[in-house]
Amino acid sequence: MRLNRSACSDCPVHQAADPSTLGVDRERWDYLVALGGNPNTGKSTVFNALTGLRQHTGNWPGKTVARAEGGYKYTGLRYKLVDLPGTYSLLATTRDEQIARDFILSGQPDVTVIVVDATRLERNLNLVLQVLQITDRVVVCLNLTDEARRHGLAIDERQLARDLGVPVVPTVARQGRGLDRLMSAVAEVAGGKLVGRTRRIASPEYQATREAALSSVSKTDGNRHGQSVEATYAEAARIAARAVRQSGAQPRFDLDRAIDRIVTSRIWGFPIMLLLLAGVFWITITGANVPSQLLGRFLLDTVHPSLRDLAVGLGMPLWLRGVLIDGMYLATAWVISVMLPPMAIFFPLFTLLEDFGYLPRIAFNLDTLFKRAGAHGKQALTMAMGFGCNAAGVIAARIIDSPRERLIAILTNNFALCNGRWPTQILIATIFLGTLVPARLAGVVSALAVVGVAILGVGLTFAVSWLLSRTVLRGEASAFSLELPPYRPPQVLKTLYRSVIDRTVYVLWRAVVFAMPAGAVIWIVANLQLGGISLAERLVDLLNPVGLLLGLNGVILLAYMAAIPANEIVVPTILMLTVLAGGLSGVGAGAGVMFQLESSAGTLAILRAGGWTLLTGVNLMLFSLLHNPCSTTIATIYKETGSKRWALISVVLPLGIGLLLTGVVAQLWRLVAA
Amino acid sequence: MEFLPIVLALLATGCTVAIGAALIWPGRGWLARWRSRRQQVRAEDSLKYLYAAELRNSPPTLSGLAATLWISLPSAAEILSSLERLGLVEWKASALQLTPAGRSRAVRVLRAHRLWERYLADETGYRELDWHKQAEKQEHRLTPSDLEALAARLKNPIYDPHGDPIPNPAGETAPQAGIPLATAPLDTPLQIVHIEDEPEPTYAELLAAGLYPGMELRVVERLATQMRIRVGRDERTLRSPVAANLLVQPQPETAAQAPQARLSDLRVGERGAVVGIAPGCRQMERRRLQDLGVLPGTVIQAEFASPGGDPVAYRIRGAMIALRKDQAAHILVESLEESLCA
Repeated sequence: MRLNRSACSDCPVHQAADPSTLGVDRERWDYLVALGGNPNTGKSTVFNALTGLRQHTGNWPGKTVARAEGGYKYTGLRYKLVDLPGTYSLLATTRDEQIARDFILSGQPDVTVIVVDATRLERNLNLVLQVLQITDRVVVCLNLTDEARRHGLAIDERQLARDLGVPVVPTVARQGRGLDRLMSAVAEVAGGKLVGRTRRIASPEYQATREAALSSVSKTDGNRHGQSVEATYAEAARIAARAVRQSGAQPRFDLDRAIDRIVTSRIWGFPIMLLLLAGVFWITITGANVPSQLLGRFLLDTVHPSLRDLAVGLGMPLWLRGVLIDGMYLATAWVISVMLPPMAIFFPLFTLLEDFGYLPRIAFNLDTLFKRAGAHGKQALTMAMGFGCNAAGVIAARIIDSPRERLIAILTNNFALCNGRWPTQILIATIFLGTLVPARLAGVVSALAVVGVAILGVGLTFAVSWLLSRTVLRGEASAFSLELPPYRPPQVLKTLYRSVIDRTVYVLWRAVVFAMPAGAVIWIVANLQLGGISLAERLVDLLNPVGLLLGLNGVILLAYMAAIPANEIVVPTILMLTVLAGGLSGVGAGAGVMFQLESSAGTLAILRAGGWTLLTGVNLMLFSLLHNPCSTTIATIYKETGSKRWALISVVLPLGIGLLLTGVVAQLWRLVAA
Repeated sequence: MEFLPIVLALLATGCTVAIGAALIWPGRGWLARWRSRRQQVRAEDSLKYLYAAELRNSPPTLSGLAATLWISLPSAAEILSSLERLGLVEWKASALQLTPAGRSRAVRVLRAHRLWERYLADETGYRELDWHKQAEKQEHRLTPSDLEALAARLKNPIYDPHGDPIPNPAGETAPQAGIPLATAPLDTPLQIVHIEDEPEPTYAELLAAGLYPGMELRVVERLATQMRIRVGRDERTLRSPVAANLLVQPQPETAAQAPQARLSDLRVGERGAVVGIAPGCRQMERRRLQDLGVLPGTVIQAEFASPGGDPVAYRIRGAMIALRKDQAAHILVESLEESLCA
């Protein structure tokens, strides 16, 4: 990260001489603006509102773990905005704080905007005062003023501005209010029209803070640190007392506490968590059914034949037609029709829970278990991210300060059943378990089966964390402090709209990057003949003995090898290979052609013909949970840990458990069935 | 069709050869690297032994070296002669001595050891008993530049978490303060300044008694084989050999110390004003609490507990912060509730 730049490399002359050193082209922006603030003050919302970017926002502290950059234009000038990680302090106790401080200190932004939560002014002013020790070019963005008003707080921002000596702009970033004034204040400070005149406080402890903030290698010990923080907080309390007026009585009924008492209660805490999880899965499974079929019918049954006809009309050679249309197009179409609907439903639901502020409560509830496993309570948050995407969960593990516990969170993230693996789970649960019960119960039973697998994953997260902290990552659970933010009503429509757009783009991108080449490879493997037998069949035969031992088969293992880049293509590959290896005729559209069958009964028939039993279905669900992470996640783990060893362990660990578990289940099953 | 087994056999042979070569390749293979690492570790451990002997003013012996490193006498002699060839040790007046180069290398290893312990204590979740073992390995791996980066990051600490002074890059050490607990005056406030971490069973006993550097205690009674000490409101017994591993410094007598309540003692709904953070709460954890606003005078209310009872959510300066029980136990408070004062 290019944060520790020398003053020289920031000088415009230097940049003109060698623009590549900055990573950012000075030509493309006029002013550099840093955006700082305590966690959970709506910093990312301000960032998004200003830049129009869709930086992921959520109501939990420490969500912005990496630096995000964006830009906006105001009165013809271009501003580059850098979103810093949220911190309570700049005295560099954590990596995040170091990043934020180093950037303000040595990145020399033209203006630093500090987002402040109006409902917790005193606490937030601590950071403001620390930043004011470093620079005068500050604009305070007094956010969440609507919430403050609801709590009966009136804030005199002029008094605040006088006391701090820098402009203070009240905003409600979620509704876009006050942003114009914010931009104009930033412009005035950046252009030098408005010069901050901060009163430096004379007390020696306060000076110590200043020194500590300014020196890169400060020698403050615990005591000095305590004194300077105390002095800063005392000053913050004085300023806040002058600016804030509590008008009227506090609301008698504290809704937040009432909700908290229920969702964290001894009796209801865990049932509510499970119910929400099952509910989200159920809505996703039942809701995705219809759009999936519609998309499938259109892309596979309508577009695909016409593309074929077109290719034939153009006189394309057979192999080219096969690779392009039966391989690449079909794989892409399949992934889109199967992945898009569940993702477009799951992510908005998840985001709503996130916006509401429920996720930190999950971490709060589960902390006892994580502590016993020797892990960090915030691992619950990374696990929740993992349900969406494991690579995202691995990155989110940066919110954990202690390196040991962060590694545990990274290595066990793969046990959170990610979105790419759901279609497999849902399909197999529907056709093998859903068909065991009456039709009206099928949806519920399938949803419960998928939830069961997800919970098994959660259980393994604890078990493996425990095992790791007893063996290779020995140590006790370290300190844990987690802010439980106030609940905020989620913005339903905005979230829905944004998630649908975001997910569509994301799935399309994945489909093009991963499914297309994979489709081509699968077609070639299925059609390349070696001594009269296709390469795919040879590989399947080779893997079959191992597969059968595990209660799976060669087709499934081969499909998982093909699906290392993206788990999404597992099911289509399995279907295609089953037809091919089973020598079934009359179904599908020829060797190496991916297809989707209209009804689950049809799929079941094919799989049964391919030698599948209930055991195969169950073990496939298990194996889909417990195998190596996808290549994106492996690459992310390597990048985050900087170690090939940990990346390798993250592959071997779940794969080993998966092979062991499926093997044991298969043997037991056969014992009981025999 | 028939060539598939042949291809597989060729592949298997290739793999075996490649793995074998990676293991035993002279100079670069795994085995060679392992041996050169072991050589380095032994050489540095020998220097450490010689340096320790120098500090103790007792002449080093070959058998002492062999015993410390768990190696045979001939191997010990071999290591010494190789150190001599490297100019790190010399024979002067028929006594074995460190050369200035040897001494500075030994000090660097010691510095690495203690800095690493400081790092483990301040920034990781490793247990006290694991610090020494980890540092024994890491002291040989840190390069000088790694070491200085680590020191800068830890803000150049002067003492390791046991209270041992960390040598500075020039090799100077701060003096080891304190007197043995065995000679300390009775019934005066004493502060623990050093806890010896070897041998391990004794150290484990000290840890089990809940003792840490910075803690205040008083000696109540001293008997032949054991002594009774008082920590806060509790009285504990220490065996004499265990107590011998503690260095303490007498403290000025302060005003009558009221028995202190801790944040973890508050029941849900109760409030307390912070008096201070116990010294057992180490650097990073302590700073984190301070940054969250846990400062003398701050009023904290216990709001609600998680289903397992731990952690508990506290309202601290307007924000809801969840803390684990063992952390809240470090925060000393004055209860603002009638029920607790009674």
